[in-house]
Amino acid sequence: MNANADRLILGTAVAAIILYLIFPVIVVLAISFSSGNFLNFPPPGFSLRWYRAIAGDPEWVSAFIVTLKLGGLTALFATLLGVPAAFALVRYIIPAKALLSALILCALVTPPIVTAISTYLFFVPLGLDNSIVGLACAHAVSGMPFVVINTAASLRGTDRNLERAAIIHGAHPLWAVVRVTLPIIAPGIVIGAVLAFVHSAHELLIATFVLGGVGKPVTVKIWSDMQATSDPTIAAASAILIGLAILTLATVVSAQALARRRST
Amino acid sequence: MTAIAGHTTAPPRMAASSRQRIIPALLLMPCLAWISFFFLLPLALMCWRSFAAKGYSFAAYTVLFTSPLYTKVMLTTVKTASIATVIALILAYPVAYVLTISGGFRRALILTFVFIPYWVDIIVRTFSWLILLGDNGLINKLLMATGIVHTPLELLYNSFSVLIAMVQILLPLTIIILFGAMLRIDRTLIAAAKIHGAGSWQAFRTVFFPLSLPGVYGAGLLVFVLSLGFYVTPALLGSPRQTMIAQTIMVEASELLDWGQASAAGLVLLIITTLIAAIYNRYFSLDRLWGGSDA
Amino acid sequence: MEQSAVRTSGARVRLRNLSKSYGAVVAVDGLTLDVPAGTFVSLLGPSGSGKTTTLNLIAGFLTPDAGDILIDERSVADVPPHRRNIGMVFQSYSLFPHMTVADNVGFPLRMRAKLSRDESRKRIAEMLALVQLSHLKARYPRQLSGGQQQRVAMARALVSRPRLLLMDEPLGALDKKLREQMQAEIRNIHRSVGTTVVYVTHDQSEALTMSDLVVVMHRARIAQIGTPRALYEAPANAFVADFLGDSNLIPATIVKTAERECAVRIGNRAVIAAPPAPFAAAAGDRAFLFVRPEDMTLQPASSVQPQDRSGLVGTVKELSFHGDVFKLSIAVGDDVLKAKVAREQCGSFEVGRQVVISWTPNAARLLPATSDGASSSESGMR
Repeated sequence: MNANADRLILGTAVAAIILYLIFPVIVVLAISFSSGNFLNFPPPGFSLRWYRAIAGDPEWVSAFIVTLKLGGLTALFATLLGVPAAFALVRYIIPAKALLSALILCALVTPPIVTAISTYLFFVPLGLDNSIVGLACAHAVSGMPFVVINTAASLRGTDRNLERAAIIHGAHPLWAVVRVTLPIIAPGIVIGAVLAFVHSAHELLIATFVLGGVGKPVTVKIWSDMQATSDPTIAAASAILIGLAILTLATVVSAQALARRRST
Repeated sequence: MTAIAGHTTAPPRMAASSRQRIIPALLLMPCLAWISFFFLLPLALMCWRSFAAKGYSFAAYTVLFTSPLYTKVMLTTVKTASIATVIALILAYPVAYVLTISGGFRRALILTFVFIPYWVDIIVRTFSWLILLGDNGLINKLLMATGIVHTPLELLYNSFSVLIAMVQILLPLTIIILFGAMLRIDRTLIAAAKIHGAGSWQAFRTVFFPLSLPGVYGAGLLVFVLSLGFYVTPALLGSPRQTMIAQTIMVEASELLDWGQASAAGLVLLIITTLIAAIYNRYFSLDRLWGGSDA
Repeated sequence: MEQSAVRTSGARVRLRNLSKSYGAVVAVDGLTLDVPAGTFVSLLGPSGSGKTTTLNLIAGFLTPDAGDILIDERSVADVPPHRRNIGMVFQSYSLFPHMTVADNVGFPLRMRAKLSRDESRKRIAEMLALVQLSHLKARYPRQLSGGQQQRVAMARALVSRPRLLLMDEPLGALDKKLREQMQAEIRNIHRSVGTTVVYVTHDQSEALTMSDLVVVMHRARIAQIGTPRALYEAPANAFVADFLGDSNLIPATIVKTAERECAVRIGNRAVIAAPPAPFAAAAGDRAFLFVRPEDMTLQPASSVQPQDRSGLVGTVKELSFHGDVFKLSIAVGDDVLKAKVAREQCGSFEVGRQVVISWTPNAARLLPATSDGASSSESGMR
């Protein structure tokens, strides 16, 4: 009886906290489909006009293209750099491993404003400001930890003897990694890459400094529009960003489920 | 005979042991070079800039430590970050605990809800609170509809609005860290406590809670470091009285174009966060994330 | 017909003075071993005795600090593992989870034997038939039982007809019944393919049942090499005697040595005749008198006249039922001896009864008190 009361209180508290967590997300999604002109919740009616507005505005379209390019490049750089690093950290005895780990992770705890200023001051003389590739290089630094962490986790969960089994039965060690280890840890790598993409798509401060003028990515555009206007376009842009993230994740999850179904 | 055998195996052995060193070095090289070039070098240049821009002097730092503006902003930053961290820990604890004690479907469901906000941009989540807390926002509408208040409450542009959004933004990470720490607690200990006469609550209070405290401290340090750097939330939901250090640095850089001053303030913020992160690393070892130094 | 198709000739494997250390820990210490072609040899020993390290050295996953490995008289020191042409079955099978059974089995063919598609398909089918899994070739490893996974691992290891097969405790994960069935199957497969097998196990009964030759390892060295029967009946030292089966190792002092027989004293009581020591021994040396429990003959003391009592007299301390036999613990002075009696004889031996213990002279052996790799503290009577 008493235990049941405890459970009820705990359950209610957790439900309330979860509501607090996801309610803002629901609000933004709902307003993006609003038929009204203002940011009211609940919205007066349903329409797709704000999505049409975005699709018809070359500035928004270009912002989304910039964000896609930027995120794609960031994910690519982070994966190419992070996967080998994860192999080294998990598979080998390395001196000063703790220090190296801290170095790889420290971009995550560095205040974004500090990274933003230092990156901008560094990029201007190099001519990397106003460059999508340049910004992706900077984003890759903080996107890399996501790839390293997820790859390392998959790698640790993989039987090392699988690679040895491939080698002893004739596979060149490098080929054993490509044919056996990589397919098995692929879901971990993909999740890491998606997280790096999302990290880049959400990053505001470095992007403001580096790509603040022309060719803004979506976050910078949302942020600067937010100061000026207050119609549901922003909500729709946000919703598209959410949709994009969920789409990527869904692809990953279903690819994983497919792989699992194939092997059970 | 032995000598010959030893001789024939010597070259491959040396090759193997040097390979053991060269391969990880090659694997780590690109990543470390990238971090050095695109992260550490810019930070070093920023450090140099903070002196050089003021005629190679400590002038920028003198301003930092003597101007009442910076003192006030730093105090506000630390205060806001501390309160947000404590509230996030208090709210995250029960969720992490329920995640720990439930299995299968319920755990997956809660985790999904916890992760959903993570996929939503911080700007967007902050923006959502702007809509909810406004004079015509849902909260005020509800309060007035139920007759609790008759005029809209001032819910925006104060520390309440800043904190409610900050905590919402920090919660998913806090929950995940706490959950990870709680999973490491041997749950048979709770069963053992119960067998020896402790009730559920007593078992929690005397066994589980004390064992979970290191995880709470760890999560607290990490969340605090992250909250020190908040920019969007206080900028959008706070009044000038809630200004945090990242906003001030932003103003110095992009409006006043005083890069020396911005660099100096940035460096001080960097040193503070690095110190806290180092404390975290000392006690909670960041590299546990890939199996620790023993791997 | 299948059998002739998959038959190959085994490789001769020689280890010469092989050593390997991990930091300060010596894992393998000067190992020398000659495995004749086609032999099924087991490396048997407790964990940490160096058997798995030896296997990994042969496979090439580890590089020896000193010494050499010769396969068919050719040093493989410079041959990387993937070109040693070895088959291997791993402890947890290590089947590739993302490949079907047929793809797992075909893996070595794709890697090393550049066969035509038809030829490989034929080889895979042959191998699957040999391990009786032809009907499961499209399944994934996770859909198989432990025993089936084990067989896939065997098929994969043998498909490219390696002349040497390494097996690292392959039956450790199976339950007892299945393990015994698989032991017989592995023996049959070995007989039909004819490859040399090096088999690592810590299970002494498995080693005794399956092997042509058993290498008992202890503390990084070889404690004894021999056929299963020779090891069981004539262990060279206390460690081997104790590790293989049940044994009595009675601390004794040599009183007299002669060419055909010697006399030992147990405790400070009886003087017993024993076969001559298989090691250099002189009167006054300490030694172990080794007798298998099943070689002991027990008689109730009451049925033997004191003057006819040729053996030791003791008191039954414990009696336990083991299905086919009863095991007895008998106190003789300060020593406790183990004996086994058939079920029908046990009625006469209750706890507390006095019994006379005797054995035929050639059932007993004298073993050195401290031997290379065995210490009395660890391998004394248990």
